Amino acid sequence: MHELSIVSGIVESVLNFVAAQQISKVVDVRLSVGELTNLQPEQLCFCYTALIEQTAIAGSKLEVEAVPAVVSCPHCSYQGPPKYWADALSLAPVPTLQCPQCGKATEATQGHECAIKTIKYVA
Amino acid sequence: MIPTIEASPEEIYDIELEKTLLQANAKLAKENRAQLDRHDITAIDFMGAIGSGKTTLIGRMAAKLKDQFNLAMFNGDATTVDDVNLIAKQGVPTVQLATINGCHLDANLVGKALRKIDLNKVDLIFIENIGNLICPAEFPLGSRARVVVVSVTEGPYMVRKHPHMFLGADIVVINKIDLAEVMGVNVEDLARDVHTLKPDIKVMLTSCKTGAGVDKVAAALLAIKESRADA
Repeated sequence: MHELSIVSGIVESVLNFVAAQQISKVVDVRLSVGELTNLQPEQLCFCYTALIEQTAIAGSKLEVEAVPAVVSCPHCSYQGPPKYWADALSLAPVPTLQCPQCGKATEATQGHECAIKTIKYVA
Repeated sequence: MIPTIEASPEEIYDIELEKTLLQANAKLAKENRAQLDRHDITAIDFMGAIGSGKTTLIGRMAAKLKDQFNLAMFNGDATTVDDVNLIAKQGVPTVQLATINGCHLDANLVGKALRKIDLNKVDLIFIENIGNLICPAEFPLGSRARVVVVSVTEGPYMVRKHPHMFLGADIVVINKIDLAEVMGVNVEDLARDVHTLKPDIKVMLTSCKTGAGVDKVAAALLAIKESRADA
């Protein structure tokens, strides 16, 4: 349940922001989460709701926006979406670091992020 | 940095923050790494499920390498000290990182552990992560290499069930190969799954019980240590 420690960080950042700016009410917090982070949006939202109770941002909402993975291949210069593992018996497609073009090892250039994009609030 | 904006009452504002949350950990991990590099220390992080053989493998590595290098071991464990005691018995300085309910080590805990040992008297640190195949992947510690230990007793699908863990790893050790036949697990299938996820990853087969393959893992760790010396 690493979502809990990550959401603790989000809540702390937002509370610090609210205190510093003397904001009366936070409406929503938008988070962008990369495809390669292994963070589940539903669990993030659940943890958020649980953690903000009785804080200055109680009642606000967490919205999670997915950021797709992008890989770059040093062997054949491919850049784009990763190759997905089709027969992994998985419910969701499993991104891999195998190059969709040449099959060699790629590096992920996007998809590891987890960032607060915007905070919507009433001053 | 949090940007400052002028706000008037009763109006809804939408502010761009762009604050990376895993950034705090990543920054501390970089600091750990810089500190280790300054002291010419190589740290290697061992991840894997509970019972996969992380401690036994580290024990084997300690036995092979302790005459050549000054070792230390940081042991992440939610509650017990059993594992760390096994390594301490070999005369290796150890630090227990008790996470209580935490499901992974983070760079902050490792940074604290670095303050508990004499960095001038250590060349190689083994960090044993919490037994967990999901959470530690998100939290780099500052190590030079990440090793994932899987064992055939975890079944034939364990790699494809935990793909994220392997994407960030440098070496995968498939352990307990002496039990593969009784478990009905094909070791080559597991290795192929790992390479499907990450073609350039090093896969090594061991039985930490019989000692099979252990020398090769020690040689791979040595190569990581030496690549540092060349750098």
